[in-house]
Amino acid sequence: MEGTANSMSEYLSVLIFIFVGIGSVLFTFFLSRLIRPHNPYKEKSIPYECAELPIGDSWFKFNNRFYIFALMFVIFDVEVVFLFPWAVAFGELGLFALVEMIIFILILFFGLFYAWRKGALKWV
Amino acid sequence: MFHYLALAAILFSIGLFGVLTRRNTIGILMSLELMFNGATINFVTFNKYVVTDALLGQMFAIFVIVVAAAEAAIGLAIVLLIYRNWRCIKTDNYGVMKW
Amino acid sequence: MEFAFPEYNLRLMAPEIFLFLWALLIIAYDVLTKRKSETTAGYLALAGLMITGLILGFTGTGHGFGNMFVSDTAAKFFKIIFLGSAFMAIGSSFGIMREKIVNHRGEFYGLILFSTVGMMFLSSSNELLSLYIGLELTTIPLFVLAAFFKDDKLSVEAGIKYFIVGAFSSALLLYGISFLYGLSGTTDLVQMKINIAITHLTFQNIGVILILAIVLVVAGIGFKLSLPPFHQWVPDVYQGSPTPVAAFLSVGSKAAGLIAFAKIFVNGLFAFHHPDMAPNDWGRLVALLAVAAMILGNTVAIRQTNIKRMLGYSSIAQVGYIMIGIVAMNALGMAAMGFYIFAYMFANMGAFAAVAIVEDKTGSCEISTYSGLARTSPLLSATFAVFLLSLAGIPPLAGFMAKFYIFAAGIQAAQHDPGLYWMYWLVGIALLTTVFAIYYYANIIKQMYFAKEPSPHKVTYNFPALTVLLIGLAGLFVFGIYPEPVLHFASGIASSFGIIP
Repeated sequence: MEGTANSMSEYLSVLIFIFVGIGSVLFTFFLSRLIRPHNPYKEKSIPYECAELPIGDSWFKFNNRFYIFALMFVIFDVEVVFLFPWAVAFGELGLFALVEMIIFILILFFGLFYAWRKGALKWV
Repeated sequence: MFHYLALAAILFSIGLFGVLTRRNTIGILMSLELMFNGATINFVTFNKYVVTDALLGQMFAIFVIVVAAAEAAIGLAIVLLIYRNWRCIKTDNYGVMKW
Repeated sequence: MEFAFPEYNLRLMAPEIFLFLWALLIIAYDVLTKRKSETTAGYLALAGLMITGLILGFTGTGHGFGNMFVSDTAAKFFKIIFLGSAFMAIGSSFGIMREKIVNHRGEFYGLILFSTVGMMFLSSSNELLSLYIGLELTTIPLFVLAAFFKDDKLSVEAGIKYFIVGAFSSALLLYGISFLYGLSGTTDLVQMKINIAITHLTFQNIGVILILAIVLVVAGIGFKLSLPPFHQWVPDVYQGSPTPVAAFLSVGSKAAGLIAFAKIFVNGLFAFHHPDMAPNDWGRLVALLAVAAMILGNTVAIRQTNIKRMLGYSSIAQVGYIMIGIVAMNALGMAAMGFYIFAYMFANMGAFAAVAIVEDKTGSCEISTYSGLARTSPLLSATFAVFLLSLAGIPPLAGFMAKFYIFAAGIQAAQHDPGLYWMYWLVGIALLTTVFAIYYYANIIKQMYFAKEPSPHKVTYNFPALTVLLIGLAGLFVFGIYPEPVLHFASGIASSFGIIP
């Protein structure tokens, strides 16, 4: 699509950027290895959990409740995508679009109402 | 334009391959999302390069995002049911009926 | 910038809006009353469908939402079929409600109504976006409905299989639609027809992209229509899901797929049907799939032992016959397609209602359960036999007239156009496979009537299920002997799709 030479030089700068990035990280690692004290003991290798000693394995099963909350979050979260175009063009659309959006949100509220009555919002 | 279409095709193909070969139900769901995203990129690309005066493609993309989210939610709920019934979500391990 | 609002014409959408609100009402009612009543939600749903039908009768024709929503003869005809199949599915579900679904009655009916709303939107859509949204609104509730028995492994398995296949097919369809959008620059189906034809005439051949789009869309809707090779989910899902849901899947969802197919291909890709347009010719591709459907559905159905699986394979075969009407692409073909699905609704919903009644009593769907049933439950056996005979296409039932018109349309297309000579083969294969069909339908009738010992079971009817049986019976006899009014109504489908008789 674009001129070949132009795009090639663009990619060259990307390449240089990658090398410089990797190089600087390696350099700091190397530098710290040179100047730090070397003193390993066992507590250093366990995972950090707010300065407490961790209890049990991190691969335990999560409560199913998390799952239902996550599902509801996904649904209500994504519906907001319809609000953005409306909000951007709000000035031109006027009252009718406002009413439409209120209806849309009312339908969403019905879903929330249903989840509430079903007890999905309670933490048992 | 070609780059974007190629990206969409690659995403779609990865998804297609994943759906057909994955043995984990969650993996299949993720692959399905990839397929939807490939189609979404196609819509936005065509909107940008072919039909520049209308925003139908972008609208379509928004609707696809919402539909994909709804489908993911339903799918995850059904996977939860599978887990309750079989205690496992590998496609080899559950299933009573023969294809 | 002044924004020009499209003309909304909300009154055209009145049936859909009403049904949607009614579904919300049913769910709210069921949640608020803590599910005390066994049947109220069901009767509410039936009443809602009838009121929607009345509103539909008073709704005029026209366009709304900037040509996105159209109310014409084809839309109305299919809306009647969707409402009717939802009515009969809900009617045959009262037995299950009493026995198995104790906690989620309102949701069950609400989801069926949501799915019906989706089908109605789909049949009214005039462009790809609303068509896709309608198709999704149709299928997403059905995923939940298929997995409705939460503790029954069969049902959950049916749910996940239907979900994966459904989401997969909708992704394929979406990718195909995105190419159609890219080729034509519009999502309006009529405009798309014009734009793609202009591009085609300019460049003489659009080539690979259009073929890819056609194949993807055929595959995507082929899954919904269960055309081979996209049919493997059908028997499993029918066997596992609750019987009324399987019935609704087999008629409502299939009719929805049919109208979506007709809209995209007949309305949008009209020009690429003819063999001159090869290799962009979708007519021959679909004809091949139809042949595969008829042969495979009818032969595999013979060796099924579960009646729901058998009806599943038989529905695959029926779609093969319906496809002849679409491939013929003439006015008679479109009308015959409408009439076929209309007659199929009565026969198949009735057959599933009978299966549901037997299942409520015996808890089994095996064909051997039906052995000797005629002596203990004569009414059920007689109606079930009529439904099966109509599916097989025996005169004077409506199924015979439907097959007759479909074959006539195929032969008419072949005579009219020498390029379509292969339509003779298509009709010939269809006639041949009908013979197989008679064999396995008659096998069940033989089991019911000519078994040595009477069945240990005696079925009991509840009022709605009995009504469904009688509606099916009446529909098959009335429209089998006097099909003219429906056929006249259905002939409007052709003009809705821009085919001049």
